[in-house]
Amino acid sequence: MLVEFALYHAWLVPLLPALAFGVIVFLTRPWPKLSAIVAVGSMAVACFFATLAAYGVFTNHEFVEKPLVYATRWFSLGLPGMPEVQIDVGVQLDPTSAMMLFMVSFIATFIFLYSIGYMEGDPGFSVFFSYLSLFGASMLLLVISSNLLQMFVAWGLVGLCSYLLIGFYSHKISAREAAKKAFVTCRVADFGLLLGLLALQIVFGTLNLTELSEKIAHFEEYTTFGMLTLIAVLVFIGPIGKSGQFPLHVWLPDAMEGPTPVSALIHAATMVVAGVYLVGRTLFLFHEVPSAMQLVAVTGGFTALFAATIAITQREIKRILAYSTVSQLGYMMLALGVGSLTASMFHLWTHAFFKALMFLGAGSVLHALHHKADVWEMGGLYKKMPITTWTFVIGGLAIAGIPPFAGFWSKDEILVATLSEGHYVLFAVGAFTAFLTAFYMWRMIFLAFFGEEKPENHPHESPWTMTVPLVVLAVGALGAGWVGTPWHNVWAEWIFFGHPHHGPVNYGAMLLSIVLAAAGIYLAYMLYLKDAKKKRARRLAEWFGPVYRMLYNKYYIDELYLWFNHALVDGTARLMYLFDIYVVDGIVNGIGGFAKLSGDGLRVFQSGRLQNYALIFFLGVLAVAVLMAFTGPSAASLVLGGVK
Amino acid sequence: MMPFDPSALTLEMLVAALGLGVLILGLIVPHGSRHGLGWLSFFGLLGIMGVALSMWGDNRELLSGMYLLDNYALFWKITFMLSAALVILGCMRYVDSMGGQAEYYSMIIFATLGMMVMASAGDFITLYLGLELMTIAFIILVCFRKMEAKSVEAGMKYILLAGMSSAVLLYGLSLLYGLTGSVIILEVSRIIALQPVTPALVLAVVMLVAGLGFKISAVPFHMWTPDVYEGAPTPVTSFLAMGSKAASFAILLRLFIAGLPGIWENWTMVVAILAAVTIIFGNLVAIPQTNVKRLLAYSSIAQAGYILVGLVTATEAGIKGVMFYAFLYVFATVGAFTVATYFYHVTGSDELKDYAGLSQRSPLMAAVMLVAMLSMAGIPPLAGFVGKFYLFKTIVDGYLWLVFIGLIMSMVSVYYYLRVALVMYRDEPADPTPIKLPSPVAVTLIVAMVVTLVIGIYPGPLSEVVNEAAHTFFMH
Amino acid sequence: MLAISLTHYVVLSALLFSIGLFGVLTKRNAVAVLICIELMLNAVNINLVAFSKYVTPTDFIGQIFSIFVITVAAAEVGVGLAIIIAIYRNRLSVNLDDFDWLKW
Repeated sequence: MLVEFALYHAWLVPLLPALAFGVIVFLTRPWPKLSAIVAVGSMAVACFFATLAAYGVFTNHEFVEKPLVYATRWFSLGLPGMPEVQIDVGVQLDPTSAMMLFMVSFIATFIFLYSIGYMEGDPGFSVFFSYLSLFGASMLLLVISSNLLQMFVAWGLVGLCSYLLIGFYSHKISAREAAKKAFVTCRVADFGLLLGLLALQIVFGTLNLTELSEKIAHFEEYTTFGMLTLIAVLVFIGPIGKSGQFPLHVWLPDAMEGPTPVSALIHAATMVVAGVYLVGRTLFLFHEVPSAMQLVAVTGGFTALFAATIAITQREIKRILAYSTVSQLGYMMLALGVGSLTASMFHLWTHAFFKALMFLGAGSVLHALHHKADVWEMGGLYKKMPITTWTFVIGGLAIAGIPPFAGFWSKDEILVATLSEGHYVLFAVGAFTAFLTAFYMWRMIFLAFFGEEKPENHPHESPWTMTVPLVVLAVGALGAGWVGTPWHNVWAEWIFFGHPHHGPVNYGAMLLSIVLAAAGIYLAYMLYLKDAKKKRARRLAEWFGPVYRMLYNKYYIDELYLWFNHALVDGTARLMYLFDIYVVDGIVNGIGGFAKLSGDGLRVFQSGRLQNYALIFFLGVLAVAVLMAFTGPSAASLVLGGVK
Repeated sequence: MMPFDPSALTLEMLVAALGLGVLILGLIVPHGSRHGLGWLSFFGLLGIMGVALSMWGDNRELLSGMYLLDNYALFWKITFMLSAALVILGCMRYVDSMGGQAEYYSMIIFATLGMMVMASAGDFITLYLGLELMTIAFIILVCFRKMEAKSVEAGMKYILLAGMSSAVLLYGLSLLYGLTGSVIILEVSRIIALQPVTPALVLAVVMLVAGLGFKISAVPFHMWTPDVYEGAPTPVTSFLAMGSKAASFAILLRLFIAGLPGIWENWTMVVAILAAVTIIFGNLVAIPQTNVKRLLAYSSIAQAGYILVGLVTATEAGIKGVMFYAFLYVFATVGAFTVATYFYHVTGSDELKDYAGLSQRSPLMAAVMLVAMLSMAGIPPLAGFVGKFYLFKTIVDGYLWLVFIGLIMSMVSVYYYLRVALVMYRDEPADPTPIKLPSPVAVTLIVAMVVTLVIGIYPGPLSEVVNEAAHTFFMH
Repeated sequence: MLAISLTHYVVLSALLFSIGLFGVLTKRNAVAVLICIELMLNAVNINLVAFSKYVTPTDFIGQIFSIFVITVAAAEVGVGLAIIIAIYRNRLSVNLDDFDWLKW
């Protein structure tokens, strides 16, 4: 009964946080506590509905083949001589979107709760919650969209919220710069996506996911293979930006300037996976174009390795996590690229739990250490902050891929999928990245939480609003993967593309990934915990001096972009600027001046004299009469092209 | 012949009763409680609007076509009552400080009644009566502040020019009557279709164009508009800008598309050229204006030009475009003029330079003004964009030059609309005291802003209603 | 003797309309302009009655129309005179050339 209601009213889920946004902005802004209650309450109710809807979907196997879609006409445009453009807004519920709906609302609820403690006393407390609510609404809207245009609107909205929240500490220059960087980078990518969507609309005449999937399956009736490839590549540019894939990953680490709950919610668990989700949603498009699949797979694999190597040398706790996010997103893309929606969504699911957990843990640490972010200046936090430490360790085990923690199952699934599709190089890349992941994660954990205490730090455990979400997410990080064990893979029966994949259990790959993870952790242990003075670590850094510096400076990508901007873009821009101010502005100002002058001139007729007005009226009658006499059906109308 | 059914005139009778009731109550109730009359008028109109909604779908002809009841007329009637109600809600404070509430509100209601009669008019006599009822009520309203020289001057200009334009319109109508022997629009239409086009017929059409062009302030029949708009009390100006104009469009469509389709080829080009000239002139002359009311007056001239575009092709789509635009224009106008009204009430000025820093003094007023103006300029995602789209898409085929003029002039219009925004948002206020809005004004503003946004983002439902209404236009 | 036909009436009405129009454009006194507008309306009335007699001799639509026109015109003149009185009190003039405070 209630489940039925939730299924057919899934639009309530994004609507509730959207209402909370309105309420906070217009009504409760002066009362921070009330605003927080509104935001958390609405998200909790939304989560309740989302859970019911997900329950409804996952108890009815019909929805796997035939998604539940209901939509309403947003607008339809028809121009004479062109096909009618009809755009719907609606809800598409299938196992994938139901999973996302549940995951986003669930994690958002706990991160909202966590924010109450984390943001306490901030002057922008209410505003923060209004932004968070708006973000929640947009993200949930994106998830349930039945239509790519609707998705694009939500896509833009989450980008906006991300911009607002990264730059939340607007008194900090770095925050403002990071917000701008994130926004501009994502907009660049969105432009590609927009072009792709336009092409889809033009070629196939619809943006509805279900209709598109049917039409693209026999695209030969509509378009050529080359066009389809172009569309797929254009569409993929959007996810490259949003999901921080190489080479547009640069904004994501800088986005850590935002408050930590924002990093956890937006830049780890939800928004950044929107790109993966979009590719997953449009996999029917990529599936038709093998080269595009190849592109997705290689981009993903390369990004995974690339970001993992950078993460090894970073010092700021949130930056390490950010690069690890980029790397894990690469994994998800890799899985999509080899055609396994199952593995990709599975990793997305488990990653959301353990990465949100680790970010919140990092936030807890920063909260305790008054925003001292360098892991080398921490140490021994486990004594004073037991809950944070042990939940963080669970997260570390999960991301490193130690069974039975969640990350192990999903990472294993990706590796197996890569191998079974015959991508041996990508498999090797993935496996090596797994080793690196375990290493840099545990480097961070050993440095920050274990070892000797630093006397200048006075850590303390965080309030319950912060620790409860940690514990809940830790449970998720532990158990979220059990739905997809190779022996009894429930996950693969529900979420798949094409037909469910049932391979034999690949014990070799499993063993390999356990060994690699354990090796990574052991190496980190030897270098950073056993060796209290960290002599060996320093010596290593010296030996590989150039490599170390290159990694520490993130392959100089930012510098490259900067150089590119200065040398090429600015140069061209200067040239264009001259053209602009002299030629374009000249024309525009000319038109403006003309308009102004003619406005001043025409004004003279308005003399204020009543009888002049009457005279003009009759001259007008005369003019119309003359006009009418000469624009009969034959004469001037033909010149002007009116009457046919 | 069908027996006359008085229930068909329920709406008109209710509005007449409300107007008379307010007028009489004004004589009875003591001075102190006359502000209640505003609320009475407001809720009375809302109630009658409710009745009107229940009459949706009732399509018939009364007295062999003299009075037409259809969704088309009903849609216009609802629009008129809605705009009257919003004007009353937004200006109560202003009227209380001016005095003469009873006369003021009852005149607004009678003007509304005139418009409603126009919307349903099926013959020349009804048309003329509705038109004059509206015009005379408006003349009284325009010079309502009779101690103020500008107000009376505006009234003077209005009555003389309106009288003259009525004479012209009537002369045209009398010629049509002489040529066809009938005053019933639908019958006239049938007879004209059978006759050859004579110079007398052309002259009649010219005079109709001029007479109604005056009411919708199409260039070159617009000369009264800026002066009257500036001199009249601001709420009256706003009602004049949307109500009177919308009613004139209602009757213009009826007269030309239902009455003169037989000689469509003769008048369509004239209408297209008038629309072009109106758009160009209104937007250009708005640029140098320094008085907000005058600026809005010129902008409303330009808006009339845009709406006129819908008449050019004489199709259902065009009618739909006109109705859609007229409806959303009500809200943009209410928004902009209510801000101007209340600003005048507080500061006693209509000059643009005094609007400096309004965003700091009253964020809501500035925001509503901005939204209203951007909507009029046709910036998405506001309602004005959708409205312009519906209008111009009817003429893409065949009148591309008019589309270009419309687009270019929309760009020009952004210049003066944004100048207002610039003054409100960038400049520092000379007097930074915040402006407190009484709740009726705030409600009016919020309604205007929200509706403008919602129609812009989700035009579907309104578009469907308008489709249905436009569809009944051709049923008689 | 010349028989009086419809044409005569129409020409008379056109002349009367033009005279009224000329008056509206040239007279400077507001009252005179108001009266000239009445002339134009009366031209319309002549038209209506003449057409009624010659085009539709059996029903009286034209006559009825003209009665309405006369009635409304009376109301309009009433309001017009009131305005003229009000503006005279304000500016001590009924010369239309003096009323140009509202312009541009």
